[in-house]
Amino acid sequence: MRAYWHALAPALIGTLLISPVPASADVDYQRDIKPLLHEKCSACHGALKQEAELRFDAAALIRDSQAVVSGQAEKSDLIERVSSADPDLRMPPEGEGEKLTDEQIQLLKQWINEGLSAPDDEPIPSRPEDHWAYQLPQSPAGLEASSVNPIDQLILRTQQQAGVKPLGPASKHNLVRRLYFDLIGLPPTPQQVAAFVNNDSADAYQSLVNELLNSPRHGERWARHWMDVWRYSDWSGYKNQLRGSQRHIWHWRDWIIESINEDKAYNRMVVEMIAGDELAPQDPQVLRATGFLARNYHNSNRNIWLDATVEHTSKAFLATTINCARCHDHKYDPLTQHEYYAMRAIFEPHHVRTFRLPGQPNLNAAGIPRVYDSQPEAKTFLYIAGNEKHYDKESPVAAALPAVFQSELNSVPVSLPAQAIFPALKPYVEAEAIKQAQDKLTKLEQQPPQATKDSQSDEPSIVELKREETRQELLSLHARWAADKALYGDKPLYGDKALYGVQQAPSTAPNELAQSAAAAERRYRVAKAKRELAEKQQQLASVTTNDNEDEKKQETAIKNAEKAVENAEQQLTKATNEAKKTDAKYSSVGKAYPKQSTGRRFALANWIASEENPLTARVAVNHLWRWHFGQALVENTFDFGLRSPPPQQQQVLDFLATELTAHNWSMKHVHRLIVTSDAYQRASSSAESVAESNRQLDPENKFYWRANVRRLEAEAIRDSVLHIAGSLDTTTGGPDLDHSQGQTKPRRSLYFRHAYEKQMTMLVLFDGAGPNECYRRSNSIVPQQALSLANSNLAWSQARKLAGQLVQDAKDSEADDSFIALAFKTILGRQATSAEITACQEFLSDQTELLKGSTRTLLGGTAKADIPASSEPEQRAKENLVHALINHNDFITVR
Amino acid sequence: MHAFDSTRRSFLRDLGLGFGSIAAAGMLEQDQQTAIAAEVAKVAPKAKNVIWLFMIGGTSHMESFDPKPELNQHAGKTIDESPYAPVLKSPFLANERVVAFDPNNGFIRKEIYPLQVGFQKHGQSGLEISDWWPHVAKRADDLCLIRSVWTEDSNHGAQLQFHTGRHRVDGFFPTIGSWVNYGLGSLNENLPKFVVMGTPVADCCGGVEAHRANYLGPQYDGIPLKIDPANPLPFAKPPKEVSLEEQRGEFDLLRKLNTITAQQYPDDQAIRARMRSYELAFRMQMAVPEIVRFQDETQQTQEMYGLNQKETKTFGQQMLAARRLVERGVRFVQVYHGSNGGAGQWDAHSGLKSSHSRLCKQVDQPIGALLTDLKQRGLLDETIVVWATEFGRTPGAQKGTGRDHHPYGFSVWMAGGGIKGGLAHGATDEIGFHAVEDRHYVTDIHATLLHQLGLNSRDLAIPGRKRLEKEFGHPIEPIIA
Repeated sequence: MRAYWHALAPALIGTLLISPVPASADVDYQRDIKPLLHEKCSACHGALKQEAELRFDAAALIRDSQAVVSGQAEKSDLIERVSSADPDLRMPPEGEGEKLTDEQIQLLKQWINEGLSAPDDEPIPSRPEDHWAYQLPQSPAGLEASSVNPIDQLILRTQQQAGVKPLGPASKHNLVRRLYFDLIGLPPTPQQVAAFVNNDSADAYQSLVNELLNSPRHGERWARHWMDVWRYSDWSGYKNQLRGSQRHIWHWRDWIIESINEDKAYNRMVVEMIAGDELAPQDPQVLRATGFLARNYHNSNRNIWLDATVEHTSKAFLATTINCARCHDHKYDPLTQHEYYAMRAIFEPHHVRTFRLPGQPNLNAAGIPRVYDSQPEAKTFLYIAGNEKHYDKESPVAAALPAVFQSELNSVPVSLPAQAIFPALKPYVEAEAIKQAQDKLTKLEQQPPQATKDSQSDEPSIVELKREETRQELLSLHARWAADKALYGDKPLYGDKALYGVQQAPSTAPNELAQSAAAAERRYRVAKAKRELAEKQQQLASVTTNDNEDEKKQETAIKNAEKAVENAEQQLTKATNEAKKTDAKYSSVGKAYPKQSTGRRFALANWIASEENPLTARVAVNHLWRWHFGQALVENTFDFGLRSPPPQQQQVLDFLATELTAHNWSMKHVHRLIVTSDAYQRASSSAESVAESNRQLDPENKFYWRANVRRLEAEAIRDSVLHIAGSLDTTTGGPDLDHSQGQTKPRRSLYFRHAYEKQMTMLVLFDGAGPNECYRRSNSIVPQQALSLANSNLAWSQARKLAGQLVQDAKDSEADDSFIALAFKTILGRQATSAEITACQEFLSDQTELLKGSTRTLLGGTAKADIPASSEPEQRAKENLVHALINHNDFITVR
Repeated sequence: MHAFDSTRRSFLRDLGLGFGSIAAAGMLEQDQQTAIAAEVAKVAPKAKNVIWLFMIGGTSHMESFDPKPELNQHAGKTIDESPYAPVLKSPFLANERVVAFDPNNGFIRKEIYPLQVGFQKHGQSGLEISDWWPHVAKRADDLCLIRSVWTEDSNHGAQLQFHTGRHRVDGFFPTIGSWVNYGLGSLNENLPKFVVMGTPVADCCGGVEAHRANYLGPQYDGIPLKIDPANPLPFAKPPKEVSLEEQRGEFDLLRKLNTITAQQYPDDQAIRARMRSYELAFRMQMAVPEIVRFQDETQQTQEMYGLNQKETKTFGQQMLAARRLVERGVRFVQVYHGSNGGAGQWDAHSGLKSSHSRLCKQVDQPIGALLTDLKQRGLLDETIVVWATEFGRTPGAQKGTGRDHHPYGFSVWMAGGGIKGGLAHGATDEIGFHAVEDRHYVTDIHATLLHQLGLNSRDLAIPGRKRLEKEFGHPIEPIIA
C-alpha cells in the first residue's frame, strides 16, 4: 500500500505551482507547522515509527532529512508527496488521515522557502520505551526522615520553584466535614464535629482518620469510586431477556466493599477480578470478584464483549489505551494492532456461567456470576481494519503482552478441581435434588390408603402410580449421581447399600455404575409412562361419562382424549422396549466443563499485580489521589501513554506508588499518608494577599497551595439527606434494590440498581456514573438538580422529619443552642453566622405569618410526601428553614 | 473552581477565552454558552429551532413519500425475474454492517410486493405522496422530500445511528439534539434548550441514548417533557400542599443565605452558578407546565391538531406542545412516535397495510396542523421540521403482508427554516431499492440542520474526542434556499 518516499512524479509539480492560495504574512513553526506535522505525519514518521527512515516530529530532524531542500519548496519531496494527485503516492496514505488542504500545503511551502526556521531548543522526542510511565517508579531521593509528611516535602519543592505559598490549615469545622465525606461519604453529626473540634490532643486527627478508615461505611464509599472505574453495572435487557452484564452481579459489588473494608491488597484484588476462577476455582467468595469480567457480557456480539474486556482491563489497571490499536497500529503509543489481538487472545477462551448457591436451584433467582475458560482452544484472529469479517484464517494470533513492556506472558494451564469441572458434585446440589424427590414421595405416601386402589378395578390407582414413579425417580437420581461421581469425582465414590437398595447396590466400576444409572433411569421412564397413561385413561373416562349438552363438543373432547390415550400407550410401549436395553447411556446430573483453564488470565493478572509493573501502582494511587483531592496527578486517569507528559507532581505519584507496593499494596496505608498531609488539610480559600498572588501564578492549583472546593457526588448528596435526618438504613450488601424506589427506601445509594436504562433519576441528574464508562465524573450545575432537591419527596420528607427532631433537640440542648443554630450544625456542619441567624429569624417570623394567612397559590403538584407538613404554621416554617438549608449550596459542597 | 466540567474548561482555554477571565467578568453558564456559540458559528443562521419527528420501527418509504408504481407492474415476480435484477449485485449492499444476526428479519426480500396504498400529486410542485398522508400532503409545497437516504444497520440499532451518526456497535455518542444544545445559546432562560417528547426508543435500539449527550456531559442531554401539567419534568413540582408563596418565601431565604456565603468566598464561582440554577429552576417550574396548558389555545386550533379525536390526541398534543416550545425559543424539540417497548410499531414485517394506515392516521393530521400552524404564525421561516425514521422497507414481501428492514434507500423530509419547499431531492431506483441519485448518509441531514442553525458540524468537537469523518456529514446544498 505505502509507496516509497523517493518515488517522484515530476509531472505533478506544475499543478502545485499554480496553487490559488496566497501566501500568508508569516509562518510560525510552533503555531502552524508542528501541529500540522504532528497530526498528519508523526504517527508513521516520528519517535514511534520511522517509515522510510523519516521523522517529522522535530525541526532538526526534518532539516537533516532528504525530504526537504531548505529554501526550495518546489524541490522538496515533502511538498511533492503531500500534494500528489496519485493516491498511491500521496501522503498521508489512504485511510491514515485526510489529505492536506491547499492552505496547509501553502504553509509548508512557505516554511521551507523561508529556511525551515524553528526554535533551537526544541526537544527531540525520545524513544517510546523511554517514556516516563514505562519506567519503574523510584522513591524520590532526598526525602528527610522528619515529621514532615513526604508528600509535603515533595510538593514544597515544586511550590518553591513556582513561587506559590501554601495556605494554612483549614478550620477544624471544615476539616472534619471534609474528612468524613472523603472517607465514609457521609457528613459528621454535630456531636461528631464537636468531639473533634474540642479534642486538643495531638493525635486527635490521626485517631479520627483511623476510626473512619475502620468504619464499614468506608468500604461503601470507596467501593463506589472503584465501581466507576471498573464499570459496575447491574444486568440490562429487554423485559426478562438478559442483554448486558449478568444477573446477581451485586455479589461483585459486595466483594469490592468487603475487600476495601478488610484492606485486601490492591494487587490481590486485581488478580481475583481477572483470574479468581483460576486462583481459587472452588471458592465462591473469590469467584465473586470475576464479576469484573462477567460485567462485559454482551448477548448479541462476542466481539463487542471481548473488545470491552480488553479496552477496560487495560484502561482500568494500566491506563493504557490499547483499544486504539483495534483497527490499526496505535497512533501515539508503541502498541501494534497485532498486540491488541494478542491481548484479546488472553481473554478469548473465557465465558460466563452462574455458580449455584446452596438452596438456590433457580439460577435466574440467585447465584454468583463468574467467568471460566470455556473454549481453551478458541483462536483469535487479527481483524483487518477492525472488520470482523476480514481476517486470515490461517494466522491465529497467540496470547502475549505488548512488547514495550518487555515481559513474557508466562501462562501455565491450571488443572481444575472436580467441583469446578462438574459443579453438580457440590454435595448440596445432590442433597437438594434427592430431598425434592424424597419430599414428593413422603407427601404421596401420606395420602389416605383408599386412594391407592382404583375403586372400579384392581388396577393401581394414580396415586399409587405416582408413588412408584417417584420411588423410581429417587432410585434413578441416586444411580445417576453415583455414576457421575465415579466419572468426575476426585476419587470414585462407592455406593451405600442401604441407600440404593439391595438389588441396585452399585459396583465400583464406573461402567457398571453407568449401566446401573441407565437402567434405573429407564425404569423411572417406564413408571412415568404408566402414570401418564393411567391419567389419560382416567381423563377419557371422565369425558365419556360427562353429560355434555353440546354433542359436537363432547364428540371432539372424546376424540381428543382417545388420541391422548393412544399417545400415552405408544410412550409406554417405547419406554418398555427401551427398558430392555443394557447399554450405559444415562443422563448426566449436570453440565461438565473443561478440565483445564488456560492460565492466561492468571498470568496477565500476575504481571499486572507485580511490583515490576511500572504502571499498576502508579495508576492506582493516581485514582486514590484524585478522589481525595478532586484533581488527579496525571490528568487523564486512563491514559498514561505517550500523550501523557510527565506530571507536574511526578515525584508525589512515584512516592505513593512505591509506598503502595512497599506496604503490601495496602490502600488504607496510602489513604492515611494522603489525608495526614498538610496538602490535604489546607484551607480552600483565604482573604490574604498571598492567595491573590497564588491565583495569578497557579490558577488551576497545580501546586496544591489550597484545597479544592468540591461538590459532593450524586450518591453522597442523596445519602446525606437521609443521614442528617437520622433515616439512613446502614444495612450493608445484598441484591440490587429497585432504582425507582430511591425516593422512599432509605438505603445507601450504591445498593440501588445501576444499569443501562435502570438508574435512579436523582443520581443521574447529579452526574452519577454512566454505567458503561466513567473514568471521571462530570460536575455540572443545572436547574434540574435544583428541582430535585427543591421538590422531591425525599428532600421534603426528610426536612420535615429533621425539623421535628431539631425542635426537640433545641429543648434538650445543654449548650442552649437555638433551633437555628442546631439546624446549621446538623445540615451544614458549622455554626451559623450572626447575619445568617438574623436572616433565619426574620424568615421564621415572616414565613409563620405567611402560613397563618390565607394566601395560597397552589403550584398544581400532585405528589404526596411521605411525611406531611406540620399543621402548626410555626413548625411548618421551621420545616421550610430546614428544607432551605438542604438546598443551600454548602450542603452539597465540601470546603 | 469546579463549577463546570473540565472538558469544557479546557475547550474554553483552547478558544483563547480562558476560564479565569470569564469568571472574573462574572460570566456564567449562559454567557459562556453564547461565547462558544459565537466562536463556533461560522455561517449566518437561517433558522433558530428544530422540531425533529422520529417514527420508530422504520416507515415504508414506498408507501409514504417515494411511491414506486413499478412495484405494481412486477408484483409477484422475484426481483431476479424483473428488469431490476442488478440491484441485487450493487456495491451499495456492502454498506450494511450486520452485528447481531437476526434469523427472522433483516433480509433482502425478493418477491416484489405491490404498493399497499395509492398516491397522488399534490400542490403546485406536484410532489407525489401516498394517500395515507392527506394532511401532510396539503403542505406539499413546503416539504423538501429527501428520497435518497441510506444507513448501515439493517436492524433497529439504526434508530440510535440516525441520532448519533454512528453504528450501534460503535457505542454511544452525542446526538444531533445535544450538539445543537451544546453549540447554540439559549433564547429563553426559563426553558431548557433541548426537549424530548414521546416514549423514547427502546433499549434494544439505543434507548434514551438517542437523546443524550454522552461525552458532552449530562447538561446537554435532552430533557424529557411529559404532557402532564402536574408533572411535566422530573421533580417539576413540590408535593401538592406546598404553595407558591411558601416556596417563594423559602427560595428568598435560600438566596439570602447563599449570598452571605458567596460574599465569604468571593472566588467560588460554583456558588453563583448554583444560585442561578435555582433561579432558572424556579422559572422553569412555572414556564414548563405552561407549555402544556392547552386551554390557552382556541377550540379551532385544538381541533386542527386532532386533540378532540382518540387516534390523534396523543401525538396532536405533542405537536401542539412542540409549537409552543419553539415559539418560546426552545432550540431542539425531539418527538418519538411508535414506541412499543421493542423495535417499534412502524416495524411492519406483516400486516403493513393495516398497521401503517393506522399509524399514519395518528400522526398525519397533527403533523399537517403543525406545519400549517407554524406557517400561519410566521414561525416556519425560522423553524425546521424534520420527519425521519431509521430505515425504509424492502420492495419485496415478507410473510406475504409485510416488508422487511431496508437500509439501502429510504426517505425523510424537511420543511421550513430556509429549506426549499415543493422539492424532491435525490431518488431511489425504479423499485425503491437503492438510493441512486444524490445519496445521503444520515449525518448529511444533521449537517444540513446545523448549517441552517449557523453551525458548522466540523467545528463541533471536543478536545480529546476524535469524531469520524462520517459523523460530520455534509450540508445538502441543493435543498438550501
